[in-house]
Amino acid sequence: MTTVDVQTDRPAERAAATPKVRTKVRTTGESRGMTWVWNTIGLGFAAAMGFPIYWMIITTFKTNKDLISKDPTFWPSSFSFDSYSTIFDDKAFLPALQNTAVITVGSVVLGLVIGFLAAVAVARFDFRGRNFFIVTMLVVQMVPLLAILIPLYVVMNEAGLTSSLFGVVLAYLVFTVPYVVWTLRSFIVNIPAELDEAAMVDGCTKWGAFFRVILPLTLPGLITTGVYSWIQAWNEFIVVNTMLSSGGKQTSMAWLTFYATTPTRGADYGAQMAGALLVSLPVILMFVIFQKKVSAGLTAGAVKG
Amino acid sequence: MSVTTNETPTRSETAPPAAPAPAQRRGFFAAGHYIPYALILPAAAVLLGIMAYPLFRLFDLAFQNINRYAYIVNPSLGKYIGFEGFGKILGDGQFWDVVLRSLYFTAELVILSMVLGMLFALLLNRVSNWVKVTVITVMMFVWAIPALVSGTVFRWLFASNGGVVDYVGFLLTGDESVKHYDWFGDPTVGLYVVCAAVIIWGALPFLVLGLNAALTQVPKELMEAAKLDGAGPLQSFRHVVIPVIRPFLLVTTALSFIWDFQVFAQIFSIRNTSPEDGYWTIGIYLYEKGIVASKYSDSSVISIAMILLMLAVLVFYIRQMLKIGANER
Repeated sequence: MTTVDVQTDRPAERAAATPKVRTKVRTTGESRGMTWVWNTIGLGFAAAMGFPIYWMIITTFKTNKDLISKDPTFWPSSFSFDSYSTIFDDKAFLPALQNTAVITVGSVVLGLVIGFLAAVAVARFDFRGRNFFIVTMLVVQMVPLLAILIPLYVVMNEAGLTSSLFGVVLAYLVFTVPYVVWTLRSFIVNIPAELDEAAMVDGCTKWGAFFRVILPLTLPGLITTGVYSWIQAWNEFIVVNTMLSSGGKQTSMAWLTFYATTPTRGADYGAQMAGALLVSLPVILMFVIFQKKVSAGLTAGAVKG
Repeated sequence: MSVTTNETPTRSETAPPAAPAPAQRRGFFAAGHYIPYALILPAAAVLLGIMAYPLFRLFDLAFQNINRYAYIVNPSLGKYIGFEGFGKILGDGQFWDVVLRSLYFTAELVILSMVLGMLFALLLNRVSNWVKVTVITVMMFVWAIPALVSGTVFRWLFASNGGVVDYVGFLLTGDESVKHYDWFGDPTVGLYVVCAAVIIWGALPFLVLGLNAALTQVPKELMEAAKLDGAGPLQSFRHVVIPVIRPFLLVTTALSFIWDFQVFAQIFSIRNTSPEDGYWTIGIYLYEKGIVASKYSDSSVISIAMILLMLAVLVFYIRQMLKIGANER
């Protein structure tokens, strides 16, 4: 692979470089035969990683007979959609999904707005307390959410925000805001300050420059951090399970655990898997749509914190 | 010099002090000095309200004797007991069991996931493009599966009745008893094999893709120079690749530590929402004490211990991050 790239990049050097590069690469084990071996290992790895998901999907289509058979079947003897109708007949399913959607959208929007503003401040302005703010953001990310769960519950309880979706959205800002600030900061730092200065010279106000220059150029960063916050909020479970436990509201994650623990439903693996799959779907879709940006942006964010 | 200092106080006495102050402030505002503060205000408010204040309450609770009854039915029963709560938890053998188990478990997870992540990231550079695309696609799906769901899936995969892992074991060995091997009967096996498998499975996509991206940053010229100098693949990996991707390695290791140390959802769902005490890592322990048993003060002490343990390990990481941050600006 690499040799081909090198050659097409520099066609003039091709004739001279080819023999040397070939032999060198051969000796390090990138010959055709070795590539075949690596490919096999790679596909094996993909199969191992993908098997649980395959199993999850195939289980949802199995008939009861297949599900309770003593030996698991790797392919359903006939396809059935009973598991899905069980899920959709469950009256708690759609409201739970709706609650999750409200919480997720709320925390993504709020997290992005708050985080973006702070990221601009940190990336574009030199101000007293700037370093303190950055360090705080960093340390905050390291305090385990679980560790502040009890006091957070107590505080929210005093504020009358337990069993409210808004309270959960606020709680999620603990992990979205610092991440958004850190990631967007590195995006904004990379926008040359000359650009917004030029805009201001051309007659933009400070806010005009902000909205016309910084905001559009940060868009890729906003998308990645938005997707990340979406995943976090959608998949989060402990906080909702604790904060919404008494209010009769639940999210799809809490609904799912309920599904697994109720004795009658616990046995119904098909429905359980169907529910799990449906609940994961919005995140899977996010990944499919934003695949490239997500992998690039999340790792960029990870490098910068 | 002395003249001016003598003059200044008299001047400020005669001139109205209000006049220079607004002028100065107008300049301050015009220069936009207030803008950064206005921009970080919402974030600061959020952090104070849902992080700093709860943290303060955490310490407050740790020095009291509050359980749910005292807290809700009769708040006046709550009182400050000093370090008694700390003594109680730190004197509890179970606490130390849990801490040790968490550290072992985290070490296992971090080491295994980093090593596997590195191996597969290297592998991705060797395979044909279509294989690479296949692997990445699969990993995107794995990445998207919520931790809670993956726990449920693995519980089903490792079930002792109709579980596919046992069945494959039976197909491979032909031994009937393998078909009903109970992976969860012994918490040591359940935690260090099955739970570890789910967590590593869920962590690999991020690590493999991230490390693979980092590996592409290694300049090809350096690798070629190393080869010309007669370095084998292992040597050039150690002396060329590792130094180049060192910052990223440190950060991913630290992140893995952060995630693995506080892991909760996978163990929680793999044990059907009620993990036996052999499965209690610090996250589960905290949940069982704090939420299930409503021992607010006890769990606050545990929380503080957890935060301190984490920060102790991460001081190294914070310093590294500050260096990266300093280099950037």
